[in-house]
This record gives sequence, C-alpha cells and structure tokens, in this order.
Amino acid sequence: MPVISADLTRQGGMPTAAELERRLLAGETLLAETSDHVLEVVGVLESYGEVLDAYSRNLIYQAEQQFLNPFPVFKFFDGDLSPARIWRHLNHDRINFEYAEYCMKSMLWHGTGGLDAYLDSQAFADCCGGIIQIKTRQDLLLALLNPLFRQFLPELIRTAATTHALGQFWRVMSDLFIDLAAAERDGRVATIAQVVDVLKQGLVAAAAQPITYAVTVGQQTFWVLPPEAGLTFLADVAVPYVEAVFLRGMPFLGTVSFNAQAQQISPDQGQFAYGALFADPLPSMGAGIPPSLLMQDMYRHLPAALHDWYLQRSRGEGDVRVKICASFQKAMFCVTNAAIAGTFAYPLGSSDPEAEAANQTYARAWASRLALARTDCLRAAS
Amino acid sequence: MTSSVGMAFPWLSLLLAIPFLGTFALLLWPGEPSPGRLRGITIAILAAQLVASLALLLVFDPQLSGMQLEEIHSWVPSIGLNYQLGVDGLSLPLVLINAALTLVAAVCTRDFSKRPRIYFSMLLLISGAVNGAFLAENLLLFFLFYELELIPLWLLISIWGGTERAYAATKFLIFTAVSGMLILGAFLGLALFTGTVDFSLTPISSDRLAMGSQIVLLSALLVGFGIKLPLVPFHTWLPDAHTQASTPVSVLLAGVLLKLGTYGILRFGMGLFPEAWAQLAPGLAIWAAISVVYGSLAAIAQRDMKRMVAYSSVGHMGYVLLAGAAATPVALLGAEFQMVSHGLISALLFLLVGTVYRKTGTRDLDVLRGLLNPERGLPFTGTLMILGVMASAGMPGMVGFIAEFLVFRGSLLAYPIATLLCMVGSGLTAVYFLLLVNRVFFGRLAITPASDNPVEDARLDIQLAPVAPRETLPALALALGVLALGLFPAFLGHWSEATTTAMAELPGLVASLPGGGLG
Amino acid sequence: MRRPAFPFPLTAALPLPIQLVWLIPVYGFSGVLLSLPWATGWFKRNGPRPAAYLNLLVTLLAFAHGSLVTLEIWERGAQHLSFNWFSAADLHLAIGFDLSLTNLAALELITLLSLLAQFFALGYLDKDWSLARFYALVGFFEGALSGLVLSSNLFISYFLLEMLTLSTYLLVGFWYAQPLVVTAARDAFLTKRVGDVLLLMGVVALSALAGSMEFTDLYSWAAHAQDASLGTARLSPLAGSLIGLGLIAGPMGKCAQFPMHLWLDEAMEGPNPASILRNSVVVTSGALVLLKLMPLLRLSPMATIALLVVGTISAIAGALVALAQVDLKRAFSYSTTSYLGLVFIAIALQQPAVALLLLLSHGLAKALLFMSVGSVIATTSCQDLTELGGLGNRMPATTVAFLVAGAGLVGLLPLGCYWCFGLGVQAIWQLHPLFAGVILLTNLLTALNLTRVFRSVFLGSAMPKTKRAPEVNWLMALPMVSLTVLVLVTPFLMATINPVPGIGAFSLPVGLCVAGSGLLGVGIGSQISLDRFWSRSILQPLRGLQDLLALDFYTEKIYRSTIVAFVAGLAQFTNAIDRQVVNGVVNGIGRLSLQSAENLKLSVSGQLQSYVLTVVIAIVVLLSSLTWIVAEVVR
Repeated sequence: MPVISADLTRQGGMPTAAELERRLLAGETLLAETSDHVLEVVGVLESYGEVLDAYSRNLIYQAEQQFLNPFPVFKFFDGDLSPARIWRHLNHDRINFEYAEYCMKSMLWHGTGGLDAYLDSQAFADCCGGIIQIKTRQDLLLALLNPLFRQFLPELIRTAATTHALGQFWRVMSDLFIDLAAAERDGRVATIAQVVDVLKQGLVAAAAQPITYAVTVGQQTFWVLPPEAGLTFLADVAVPYVEAVFLRGMPFLGTVSFNAQAQQISPDQGQFAYGALFADPLPSMGAGIPPSLLMQDMYRHLPAALHDWYLQRSRGEGDVRVKICASFQKAMFCVTNAAIAGTFAYPLGSSDPEAEAANQTYARAWASRLALARTDCLRAAS
Repeated sequence: MTSSVGMAFPWLSLLLAIPFLGTFALLLWPGEPSPGRLRGITIAILAAQLVASLALLLVFDPQLSGMQLEEIHSWVPSIGLNYQLGVDGLSLPLVLINAALTLVAAVCTRDFSKRPRIYFSMLLLISGAVNGAFLAENLLLFFLFYELELIPLWLLISIWGGTERAYAATKFLIFTAVSGMLILGAFLGLALFTGTVDFSLTPISSDRLAMGSQIVLLSALLVGFGIKLPLVPFHTWLPDAHTQASTPVSVLLAGVLLKLGTYGILRFGMGLFPEAWAQLAPGLAIWAAISVVYGSLAAIAQRDMKRMVAYSSVGHMGYVLLAGAAATPVALLGAEFQMVSHGLISALLFLLVGTVYRKTGTRDLDVLRGLLNPERGLPFTGTLMILGVMASAGMPGMVGFIAEFLVFRGSLLAYPIATLLCMVGSGLTAVYFLLLVNRVFFGRLAITPASDNPVEDARLDIQLAPVAPRETLPALALALGVLALGLFPAFLGHWSEATTTAMAELPGLVASLPGGGLG
Repeated sequence: MRRPAFPFPLTAALPLPIQLVWLIPVYGFSGVLLSLPWATGWFKRNGPRPAAYLNLLVTLLAFAHGSLVTLEIWERGAQHLSFNWFSAADLHLAIGFDLSLTNLAALELITLLSLLAQFFALGYLDKDWSLARFYALVGFFEGALSGLVLSSNLFISYFLLEMLTLSTYLLVGFWYAQPLVVTAARDAFLTKRVGDVLLLMGVVALSALAGSMEFTDLYSWAAHAQDASLGTARLSPLAGSLIGLGLIAGPMGKCAQFPMHLWLDEAMEGPNPASILRNSVVVTSGALVLLKLMPLLRLSPMATIALLVVGTISAIAGALVALAQVDLKRAFSYSTTSYLGLVFIAIALQQPAVALLLLLSHGLAKALLFMSVGSVIATTSCQDLTELGGLGNRMPATTVAFLVAGAGLVGLLPLGCYWCFGLGVQAIWQLHPLFAGVILLTNLLTALNLTRVFRSVFLGSAMPKTKRAPEVNWLMALPMVSLTVLVLVTPFLMATINPVPGIGAFSLPVGLCVAGSGLLGVGIGSQISLDRFWSRSILQPLRGLQDLLALDFYTEKIYRSTIVAFVAGLAQFTNAIDRQVVNGVVNGIGRLSLQSAENLKLSVSGQLQSYVLTVVIAIVVLLSSLTWIVAEVVR
C-alpha cells in the first residue's frame, strides 16, 4: 500500500475569533451539538469529578494535617495507614496526587487574582509571623534558618494556603460534576447546551462561597485565610485557576525545551499558552507530560458507557488515554464556556446599547484568547 | 581429517528432504486449502527443519575441523556430478540460520492475496536449495543448488513485490545468472586444467596449476560470488531487489541468500585456490574496504528506510571479504560470526521496517516522525528498532560487536590501512542508522512531510492500526537471539573454531601472507 | 571442549563478597530487567513508581556490597579476579576485576551518587509517566559505570565505555518528543562514537600486538615494545603515536574535552537527575580509564603532548565559555569540561594522586551543584539566568547547597578542591609553571562564574518567575542536604584515601596563591554589573567576544561546516555515482542488450541463408578464440 490513506491523518478546521465571539454573544455553545459530544463530555466529567473528589480531600488533608511538616512521607495517605493502603501506595495502585500538587503549584506560580494579592498583604504577613514565632520555639533548626532566610517559612505557608483553597475549589467542582452526571442519567440533561447551563448554574450558585483556612500550631489556631479577607470562590480562586491551569499552564519538559539560548519559553508568564485548552493530546502518556497522570486517574474511574464508546474507536483500549485527553479538552471548553456565560456583566441579548457594548468587549477578549487554543476539537465530527 | 559417520543416519539428506518433500506436498495438496492452512503447513514443515538442524548440534563434533556426517553416493559419474554432502564449522551455523530465518519469513507472511500455494512452496524450495548449497561437497552439486534458488526467488520478487518489481526481479535474475555462469566457468576451468573428471571438493586442488591460470579462475569466482556478496560495483541489484520485495522475501534475501556469496568465496575461492588467494589478498583487502565505505556513504544519502538497510548490507558484507583476505584464524572466525550476525540483524531490521510500512503506508524518512508515541504510535517496534540499529552499528553486548571485533583484530596486522578504513565504515553505520531512528521515531507523531509551521504539525491527529503482540514476536525472538549471542559468543564460536583455524592453515595461504606490518 | 566458564573462580580462600564481586555491575543491569514490566506498560492500571523503588533497592544493594568488598580489600590488599569469556586461537577475552582501593573508592562514589540522584529523581520526575524507563536507563548507566571502574582489562573497559555511549544517547533522548532533544541525543551519541571508534582502533591494535589485554600485561609490553633490541619486531614510532592518540580519543570524548565537548552542552536537554550523574560520575569514569591507560602513553610522546594541549584548551576555554552562558545548566556543564581539562593535565604530567583527588572532590561538589540547580528549575520552571533572581531568602536548602558546592569546587575555602589545587600547583610549578598558572586561572574563572550565577539567581529582588518559590519537597531536599554534608566532609575522605603525604602537603605560598586566585575571582564576580553582562555590547570587539563565548567558539557551526558537510557531501556524491554511474552502466548494458535484441529482431529477414551465414561466422569466431585461449594457457 504505497499511498498514505486519508483516514490515517486528520486535521481539524478551526473557527475564527469572530465566529467564537458570535457564539458567545448568541448564547450558543462553543462545542458542536452532537450526542457523541454529550456522551464524551458528561462521561469524562463524571470520572473527573470522582478524581477531583480524591484530590480535594487529599489537598485539604495536606494543608491541615501536614502543615509545615519537613518529611511528609505519608502525605498521600489521608491519615489512613493500613497495610493494604501502604501496599497500594507502593504498587502505585492509587490516584496520582502529584498532579494535584502540580496544579496547585501552577496556580501559586502564576499568581493572579485575589488570593495571590491577599498572600502579599500585611494581614497575611502578621499571621505568618505568629505561626513562625511558635514554630521556631518548637524546632531548633527552624530557629536557625528563619533569621537567615526570612521568606522561607512564609512561602511554605503561602503554599499551604493555596493548597487548601484549591482543595475547597475542587470540592465544589467535584460535587458539580457528579451532579451533572446524575442529571444526565435522570434525563434532565441531554444536550451540550443543557450541560453548559447546568455548569453555569453551579458556578453561579457557588460564586460567593467564602474561602477560609485555619490551622492549629501548638495549642493555638491561626486564621491563615480569615473570613475578614473576603475571599470568594469564583473571583478569587476559580478565575485564577482557569487562568493558570486552563489558559497559561506550565511548559512541559517533554515537549518544550527549557534551554535559555533557544528561547522557546516566553519570559512573560502572561504569554504562556500551555494550558489544558491549548495542549496537544497526542503525546499523552509520553515522557515529561504531567497531565498524563490525570489521564491515568480518569482512566481508572471511567464510566462503563464511555469506556465502551472508546473501545469501538481507533485502537480501542490501546490509545484510550489519548481519547480521554481529547474528550477532556472538549469538556474543559464546556466548563470555560459556562464560566464565561456566568460572568457576563449584563444579561445576553439585552437592548441596552451600553450593556451590549460591554458584553461585546468581554466576549471579544475571550474569543481572541480562545481562537489560538485547540478549537479544532469543537467540530461536530468526532 | 574427516569422519565418515555418514552411514549411520543421513542427517544431511534429512535436511534436504524435509523442505523438498514439503514443496511437493504443498504443490500437490488436495483440495483448496485456505491460505492460513497453507501457512500453517509451511510453518510446521519449517519447524521440523529447524528441529532437524538443531539436532545436528548433537551429532556434530566441534573438535574436528574437516567435513562431518558425510554422505557420498555417485549420481552422474560421467560428468563428475556426485551426491556428496558434508558439514563443517563453516556451514553448520549457516544451515541453522537458514532454518531459523525461513521460519521467521513464513511466520511473517501476511499478504495472502496472490497464489499462496506457489508462494509457500517456493519458500520451501529456496530453503532446501540453500541447505543443499551449504552442504554440498561436490562443485557441480553446489552449482546445481545455487542455480535452483534463482527462479523461485525471481518468482517471489516479481509476483509479490512492490510497484517496480518487474525491473528489480529481472535485474536480480540477470545478475545472479551471470554470477552462476562465472562460477560454473571457474569450476569447469579448474576441472579442465587439472585434468580431473571428479568434482568432489576434497581431492580437487589447484596447486599443480600455473599461478596465472589460478588467478584467472579465482577472479572469475570472485566476480561471480562478489555479485552475490554483494561487492561494489556489482551490488546495484541489491537495493532494488530489497526495496521491491515483500518483507519476508527481504528477510530471506538479506539473511540467507547473501551468505551464499560469502560462503562461496571462503569455501571455493580461498579453499580451492589458496596460493592465488594469497597473491590477490592485498587487492581483496582494499576492495573490501572500498565496498564497506561505499556502502556506508551511500546509505547515509538514502531516503527510503528499506534502501538504507539494503545499503548497510552492502557495507557489512565487506567485512567478510576483509577477514578472508587476512586469513588468520581469528579473522576467519570473525567472518563466520559476521555472517551469522548480519543474518540475524538485517532480518530483524527488515522485519521492523516492514511493520512500519504496513502500519503507516510509507517508508520515507522525510515523511515519518515520532513513531515512538506510546499510545498512538509503534513504541515496541521503535524500541526493537533502536536495539537493531545499535546492534548493526557494533554496540557491545550484541553479536555485531564481537563479529566486527574479531574481524578487525584478525586483520589489523595483515592489512592495517584496509582494516582502519573498515572501522571508519563501521563508525559511519552509526551515522545513518541514528538518522533513521531520529527522524522516524523521535519527535511528535506525524505521517506527512514537516510543514514550515510547527503549530500546524502539532494539530495533526494520527490514528494507526495497533500492532498485535504476535506481530512483534518474531522480531522479539530475533532481538533476543542477537542479545544472547552477543553476551555469550562462546556458544557460536565453539562450533566453528576448529574449522576456521584449519582453513587459516591451508598450505599456500600461510606462506604468502605479509608478516611484518606493525610488528 | 571449551565451554563458557561459570562465574565462580576456583580460589576458595577469598571471602564471599569478593568472590561475588561480579554481581556489582549485575545489580545495575538487573535494575533494567526489573523495570521492564512497568516500562513496557504491562501494568496498565498501575503507575510506574514500583520500578523506581526496585531500582533504588538494587542500587542500595550495590552500594552495600561495594562497601563490604572495600572493607575486605582494606584488610587484605588488592585482589584480582578474572573470568574467561571468549577464547579463539590466540585471542583470549576475559572479564576481569581489579579490586584496588582506588577503583573501589570510585565504585563507592558511583553507587552513592547514583543512589542520591535516583532519590532526587523521585521528587524531580514525580510528574513524569515514563519514570520506569528513566530508572531502567539509570540502572543501565550505573551497571556499566561500576563495571568500568572495576575492570582490569582494556577490552572490558572499551566494552562498557561503548555501552555508556548508548545509555547516554537513550538518557539524553528521554524526552524524545521534544525537538531539541532529538538533535541533542544524536550529537551526543555521534560525538562519543567518534571517540569510541578511535579508541577501538587503539584497542584492536594493542590486542593484536601485545596478545593480552590485561592492563598489567600491557604495561610490561609497552615498557619494552620500543626497545632497539627487538629489531624489526620493534614498534615503529608512528604506530606508537597512532595507538597513543587512539587511546586518548575515547576518554576525550567521554570527558567532553575540546574539540569533543559540544555534546555535554547539548546533553543538558536531558532530565536533571541524569545531568547530575553525567557531570559527576560519567566524566570521572572516563578520566579513570585514561588513568589506567597512562603507563601505555609512554609509547607515544605525542599523545602526552596532545593531552596537555587538549587539557589546557578545555580548562581555559571551558571556563571562559561558561562565563557567557545564560542557561543555568550550561553555565556549569562547561565548568565540568574545564575541570576535566585540569585532570587531563594532571594525568599527562604524571600526577595520578592529584587527578584522583580532583575527580573525587569535583564529582561530589558538581553533583551537589546540579542538585541545587535542579531544585531551582523544578520550583521556577525556568533555566534562564536573566529571568531568575532573589531566591536566596526563600530556599534555604537550595541556597546552602549551592554555596557549599561552590566552596567545594573553588580553591578558596578549605573544602575539597582547595587541597587538590594546592597539591597540584605544588607538584608542578617548578617544572611546568605554565600549567600551574592554568590551574590558578581556571580557579579564578570558576570562582567568577559561580559568583555571578549566585548573584543573579539567589541575590537581588524577586523576578516574576521567582516571586513564588517555596522550598522543594522532601524527596529532593533530603538527598541535597545529605550531599551537602558529604561535600563538607570531603577533606576527611580525601585524607583517608591519601594518608601519605597527606592532603596538606604543600607550602604556604602555594596555598595563598590558590586562595588568592579564588578570592580574586569572587571579587570580580561580585563587582561586575549583571545587566550589562547580559545585554549585547555596542562595542564591536566586545560583542564579538561575547558572541564567541556565548556560542562556544562557534564549535557547532564549525562542526556543521566541516565534518558534517564533508560526510554529507561524500554521501551524496557516492549516492550520485551509484545511481548514475554504476547503475547507469548496468541499465546501459540492459538497454544495449534490449536494443541489440531489437536490432537483431529487425535483422530477421526470413532468409535461411543469412541465418546459416550468421551461425557459421559465430561458430568460427568462437572456436578460433577458444583455441587461442587454450593455446595461451597451455604455453
């Protein structure tokens, strides 16, 4: 067979920024409306929801029980040290919590939004001071290190705060995704538009949920993220999360060279385009691709219907994780869609020209960013 | 020293009978058996041949250097053609290679669209003919078997080959026919000039002939077998034949058929004309070096994976001629190792290239990329390919290294310049094979020429058919063999050492070798 | 009947750890086999970490076994074991183990650093799904390295050196989907292969000439090979020089010496734990092979001169190029080239003790330096010095590790390299003052480099990419802290290895010179303006110098335009000849025969007489030529 058959290679068509803007303003979904897409998105979100459930519980456990622990050997055990659990951990028959830490680090490093601003505030610094005072009395090494490395412990406390906030965020998202899957099973959700709508309702409902974090050191309780700071779910955690994980992302060691002379990575973090909406699903499970861990976790929690659907396509079980990655990307477009729809300043289709203009500017900004993403997965043909 | 254990059990005739009877059985099999059934029968017959070949190891005495298990029956005494079979350390490993690789070729046959019955029977016929050629102790008998494999191979290439198979097959036919004629001419000349009627290998000797006529006859043999080896400039049939032939036929061509040339050169060239050989040896060493370097350089410029592996064959077979020219015991043992090693490694490489071609539809280096992709690519094939190319480049731990080391070690003192050039050729092997692996297996998966815009390349969605485990099993078996022989070479050397040492001590050879060199 | 010998020697008097010393390289290789199920993805539902744990276990075993053997050898003295591998005619290839304290110290270094690097990799590569493949390759690396330092004959040394080349290719090519890695792995393999092929030429020559390949036998052969009393069997000077040059080519490639140094720069595309091992133990083993070959170099004074030239150029040029690098890893990989240049100089000037101590202290300190670099990269996802800054007050373990490693590398504070430089300068300054100067200059430049990197990474204000930089997790911090402690106690280790005359056996002026050069380097490094350093100068000569250094003396361009172009051009030429000339002749003959067949066809007139005439003429011609040939032959 000398000719390369056409169905071996496929290239998607990408909608223009104008088209994306039109869809956003018209209230249409970014993802094309097909039953396959519904199956993919809901199935993947169900498995993602289960994985996020485990992630969020572990992150909260780490922030609360492993706070400032220099040798957190058992940080992935959630406090359960039974032999069966230890064996499963050693055999790597577990959820890859390293990916949760990776997302947290991405959020911390990009440092956008209200949470990050609070971490630089005086109130936070005072709280840190209090914690450090007690810690240095307990531990001689910390007492030695603290005067020399002033930001060492505060930085670790900032990490713990971000961890806890992300854990709370994922708690909400996990519940939302599991509810979505239940709704689909009940028949309340059958189209992509309904999926996006359910997600939007969930996000809007949790928007004002407060994000707080208290930790016990010695005998005292410290409010690392106090209620007075007024940190809310949507504005201070969800938006930075989308920015850091969906859009900007971190460059993968496996596909991008970090060589300074090659200058493949932009010095401006705002220019990064390595997030979930931009990443290439094909190299999944290769070396140096952190999201592979997430794909493996989702593979272990895949709902049966979606698994059967995958088995009928391309290599069946052989490349199932690449297929999961592609479906996951579509699902993340839906979540982004829902987030955009839920954060328009004014209701869509209003007759007020000022409102319309504001909405248009908002939609245009998003569309120009998304136009460079992997919008070729939005097409109808899966 | 010979042993006539021949009367006890005709092991060698068994090795001929199994494939030949198998051929007739297949051709005459009643009914319309399905291709799968035919393949199964062929595999069974070849498995029996492999078992019989392995059984030879039990009755063969490695301490003896001469022909063993001889069977001598007169056949057509008037023209001196007698049925004389014998095996020694030179031919025993080649018989085993033949059995193993023909089995691999049969197992790897996947294209049953055209005339499977003829295909499989031709496969068996070739196997039997090659066995006969390796085991023949009579010059005319050797020639008979040598010519016998010509038409079946021509058929295999011209019926089951690629788009330009007619050209390649005809070229192969003409080259090999000319080769046969030259060989026959040399044999007839030898008989005519020595005045013998009997073509038996042992009694014939050329030491009564004048040096001039010895050289003329040897040259005819050299060109004849040089076409088969192949040696530059008689090699151009090889890349075309390999490129157009299907994968199993390429495996046979490279793994087994080329060994007929090397075997012939050593057995009949050096064995029958030791004095002339010693005279021509410096020229032979230079010729070998030219062939090695030429083959390696030409391989670097190739864009088709199969052509690249074919040119690497041209390069690697030159080492055998170098070792023969030096004719020291170590060098000749190295020649034997190189024959076995090249058989296994090139078979492995052709199998893997065939897998890539089958799954992606192309062999072009500029088009294929990133096939090591773990989910959508060919990761296992890629891993074995890396192992195969490293083996071919002479990486220690694999049989290619020990073969090349023995050849170089044995030839350095005799012909330092030629040996150093051949080592350079060995280094060049790494260059082109690394280019192959780098382009085809590393990078992001793609099967179109790289565009100017890397963002576009990153949006290609490739879906290749999966590679079932049984498809990779033969390649894995060959790879394990390459590794095993590389780590435990004594297992192979054990059988051949007595014979190669004796060959190096042929009267006429030793006296004329240049002694000084480096000291 | 010669069978392959079982690996159990007959000397029952030796204790078990020594008898089983052949297991030590096998541990590393068994790590490969143990990792295979996870590397091939056989366990689809589970992850690859068990392979990592198994490899760690096996490395620990190797370290423990090596320690036991060392203790035994300490009491008994050096031992030698040999297992027959392959024999044919006059060729005897054996697997030999030379258990001397030097080799065992190197073995301990290798296994210990391998253990620490693997532990570090658990933290650095914890988000990498191909972890099993990485550990398999590191196991392969470690097995080859342990065998190499213990080997007692040249053949096994070459054997394992080549396997190191292969594993370097596979490790640098670990992230094979990354475009720069593809070229980096290829260049690494081909550069080292060139060195290895030249070494093979030397090895084959020695094997053919000397018979045996054991180092001890080769030494005694080399001592007499050029005696005039041997007459025509004497080794000619040309042959001796060629053999000498061939022998040093392999270690030159392995230790990234000029001109085969570019691969180490490109190899920094590989994962950091692999870079740790590559910059510390791999170059050490290459230098150890050179040390073992040192007595053979008396065959060729040219080889010694070549070593000196190459070593000096590498030392100075490497240190200068390191100054111009903006990439964190490459700033220190060139420094490795530089230090190995000093080792080459020490070997060429017959100072094996200095060379060994330098290898030890450099190995430990460089590994620690790369661990701290890896920690920075893991935290900030950035390797660019222009984008880093202000990490010092946030990452104590990393900063302290960097400082201690720097102190260990520079001859300023009384840590490892200070004593080495002191001993070195003391030993050579009277006979070869130039090279003593080279040592001091290298010391100065290295101190400069370390200071400038420290300033730009750890001091100053935080940059956007380093604004949030918490200390790394315990899997990376623990090996880093352990190695910090080890570097701090290096002088005591050195003292135990070299009790006589002791590491402090140099005069005060020498010590002051060394410390002074280091101090000067630190001083310059702390004063130079960092931003002007990065920006390209407007002054033409300065910009030329900056480019020259930043682009590594244009080595890559030179390679591309000379060797690569030569080989590629020759290949295209050969291919063209093949297609047009050789194949053309063949096709021409084919066309000719077809053409003449066509013509013959046309000449078929249908008349019988013309056929008969043709046949008769042909027969006459054939017979007469045959008769003539036979007549010639008979005459």
